[in-house]
Amino acid sequence: MLKLNNLSRIYQTDEVETLALNEVNIEIDKGEFDAIMGPSGCGKSTLLNIVGMLDNPSSGEYWFNNENIAGYNEAKLSDIRKKNIGFIFQNFNLIDELTVQENIELALLYHDVSASERKQRVAEVMDKVGIAHRAKHMPSQLSGGQQQRVAVARAVVGNQSMILADEPTGNLDSAHGQEVMQMLQKLNQEGTTIVMVTHSPAHADYARRTINLFDGQVVTENVKAA
Amino acid sequence: MYSNYLLIAWRNLLKKPLFSSINIVGLAIGLMSCILIMLFVRSEVGYDQWIPDSERVVRMHTAYTVPGRADLRTVRSAGKVMPAARDYLRNDIEAGVRMVSWGTTVRRNGEGFDDHVLFGEEDFFKVLDLPFAVGDAQSSFSKPNDLIVTEENALRYFGRTDVVGETLTICCFQGQPIELRITGVLKDLPDNTHLNISMLVYMDVALFSSFPGVLDTWNSLNVYTYFKLKPGVVLSELQERWNYWLNNESPYVENARDFSGDDSITQVTDIVKHKFMALHDIHLKAHADAGTMGDFTTLGDEDMVTTFAMVAVLILVIACINFMNLSTARAGQRAREVAMRKVLGASRMQVAIQFLIEAIGLVFLSMSLALVAVELVLPYYNQILNQNIAFNLLNDPALLVSLIAVVLVVGIGAGSYPAFVLSQYMPGHTLKASKSNDTAGSTKLRSALVVFQFAVSIGLLISTAVVYLQTQNANNMDLGYKKDQKLVLGVRVAGDNVESLQRQLENLPQVSSVVLSSEVPSQDNENNTMFTRPGVGDAEPVTELLNYHNMHFGFFEAYEVKPVAGRLFDEAFGSDLLQPATEETEGQGAVILNISAVKKLGYESAEQAVGSTLRADFSGGMTNFTVVGVINDIYFRSIKFDVRPSIYTNVPGRNRVATISYSGNPATAREAIEGVWKEVVPMEPIHLTDLNEMVASQYQQEIAQMRLFTAFAVLAILVSCLGLYGLAAFSAERRTKEIGVRKVMGASVRDIVLLLIW
Repeated sequence: MLKLNNLSRIYQTDEVETLALNEVNIEIDKGEFDAIMGPSGCGKSTLLNIVGMLDNPSSGEYWFNNENIAGYNEAKLSDIRKKNIGFIFQNFNLIDELTVQENIELALLYHDVSASERKQRVAEVMDKVGIAHRAKHMPSQLSGGQQQRVAVARAVVGNQSMILADEPTGNLDSAHGQEVMQMLQKLNQEGTTIVMVTHSPAHADYARRTINLFDGQVVTENVKAA
Repeated sequence: MYSNYLLIAWRNLLKKPLFSSINIVGLAIGLMSCILIMLFVRSEVGYDQWIPDSERVVRMHTAYTVPGRADLRTVRSAGKVMPAARDYLRNDIEAGVRMVSWGTTVRRNGEGFDDHVLFGEEDFFKVLDLPFAVGDAQSSFSKPNDLIVTEENALRYFGRTDVVGETLTICCFQGQPIELRITGVLKDLPDNTHLNISMLVYMDVALFSSFPGVLDTWNSLNVYTYFKLKPGVVLSELQERWNYWLNNESPYVENARDFSGDDSITQVTDIVKHKFMALHDIHLKAHADAGTMGDFTTLGDEDMVTTFAMVAVLILVIACINFMNLSTARAGQRAREVAMRKVLGASRMQVAIQFLIEAIGLVFLSMSLALVAVELVLPYYNQILNQNIAFNLLNDPALLVSLIAVVLVVGIGAGSYPAFVLSQYMPGHTLKASKSNDTAGSTKLRSALVVFQFAVSIGLLISTAVVYLQTQNANNMDLGYKKDQKLVLGVRVAGDNVESLQRQLENLPQVSSVVLSSEVPSQDNENNTMFTRPGVGDAEPVTELLNYHNMHFGFFEAYEVKPVAGRLFDEAFGSDLLQPATEETEGQGAVILNISAVKKLGYESAEQAVGSTLRADFSGGMTNFTVVGVINDIYFRSIKFDVRPSIYTNVPGRNRVATISYSGNPATAREAIEGVWKEVVPMEPIHLTDLNEMVASQYQQEIAQMRLFTAFAVLAILVSCLGLYGLAAFSAERRTKEIGVRKVMGASVRDIVLLLIW
């Protein structure tokens, strides 16, 4: 599905140049569930942002569905992203001024989906993540676990084939964290590719492969036996 | 999708009611000020444009500018100019009309009314196609002495408007009453015209020929001359052709030869200028071209209109800056929303459009508020400006369109920063960091805009202070005479009864003196005559065109004006009253000069002037005037003008007003004076005015300007302060985290307050 060849990302400020990713080579196939681990500052989030096309690599190749998209402009990336990739963040990133239902619907607004279909799909996905009874509530009225479920619903409502999760359980207690992990696992079993950054070995255990990063480089890859 | 934009905009508004109201109300105040000013400006600029074909109508102004003498500028022309123009410019002129406007008393059923009558030649309606309520131009205005009244005047005299066939008696031909039959009724003219018509009479040219200074003259400037040009005639070319005629074929060519010794005069147009002024320009430009004398109505002031238009733009700019600053500041807090939308697939353009729609929606709210405010404020505004500006958005497509344009422009202007800057951030960083995208750049921009805003506001305040001080100065300045406890009575209409009127008034217990004069302070005139100071010994004679007023005995005493040399007019001398020239002898009289005239005539001192003789062609023949006294300059006109070199004569029969000095209660004095008037001149309406009011009325326009300036400057400051308050509150709120950290580290409330104030 995607392949990174010698991919590097350098952040530059006036005085400091930081090498966040250093010649990374990773291949991810359709239907995988990968966990990316490593200490703070090792480049996990940078990697996820680049994979999610929220950021551009400084050098190297990024093949997505047999297309080298490194260096594509924002509009093109945005187009590919919205058709293929859903995001889940540690801090949920729900929009405070919109209700649960509207937050999920937001993901469909930028797709060509009619209002009636939008409604239907939002209802379906809310059922799926078990948040339908909270449809009219504002994010501030929900618990963290509920908020993250909304975020998951938002990530998948557009039928995205891949979900990128950036520490999805980082702000949750263990019970809620567990809940979210099970939800992701279920999605993966239904065919969604999932790439997740996490600090928790227990949660990484849900993944079939664990990629360990250190100082911007892939140090080990552990694949669980099927 | 758009409903989503509006929804989120609306919830954002409700979430921060303080910022939202500051933002909307601030802009609404700015928009209201701007609309009010622009309504005024539009009304001023649009004068007379409702008259059909008005773009082809011009009026001829005249200026006599002879070197070394006071310029004479007027909106009128000499009576003989029109026939000459009709002939020489026959290829350019479709129609032309001469008009004369005279004040008159109208008699009806034994009662007298003040009014004025406009005499116009037969082509009047071909030039100025004014709408009729009853009748039409062909049938109602077809023969001499046909009388057309306006609806308002018909109501005044008859209580109804179908008055064709009724008669009115006017007395303006040296008191001779003439009965005129009404043949038509004009619709009342709208407010935005320089014309002032109450009664319009088909000019009886034969009757007017008995007044030699009106139609049959090349020099006296007593008629209004209007032309309608043929389509396609270019005004500047017409002016050129006419200048050619003036310089080569006009009777003025002879006059110009008299100046053959003066190198600065090579052609007629150096001394006699005829200027065609477009009808559309009269209201705002005639004043600058021809002075205030003699126009039908109070003219507008182009400078004032320009100044106000600038003020309007400045206030709008201030309000927009506010709006932009607050919108930008708030938008910075929505970086996360923007990032999330982009993650979910929104293109940059979509994000930009969202912010623009929000901004436009907010401006639309402000505009709605502003429109309501304009409705509420307009009556007071009209009162201050002494205008009758209408505001009817639905019947006014031009206004509607321009307001919509303002909404769009301000909305796009204010929304552009968040729209185009925020939308360009890469979302990854924003989402991870979960912080606002308020860059150092945008903060600097905001600071700069706030500084600019206050600079403009303070500038407006300073201008207001200057205007205020000037107006104060005008009211408190020493004008050279005493104006308290005086009533001014118009006595022209009293005719032969003036003396008995004066005697009876003087007998009233409240009245201390009654003095006669041609004018009183605040009443201007354009009576100018050449006075010659004969040369003595080697000295060359000095001839100057000087303005003169007529003062009867006791005038200067009543006004407490003291002579600086010589004496005032005194009946005891027996020689102070003018003895007019006859065919055999020259006239004799006495004059008083003001200090400026003493200088103008080249005397070394006031004392030197006293006793000397001035010669002038006056009241039908050469007259010798003895200078009996010199007084200080007194402000006869508004202090906006310098005091002119003036000569005060004492000629019987030229006195039009009486100054009545009284003591005690003005109302009682008035009542007593009115009683005497009714007895002595029962057929005429009384004109009795307080001198203080007359003098103050000269500054009415300035006072109105000052009030408006003050109002708008205060609004500008208010809007700026609202904006600053909004920004300060915003920044305090944004720094809650910083404040929290400082408190944990041990900062006291006082420390925090200090932190925020600085």
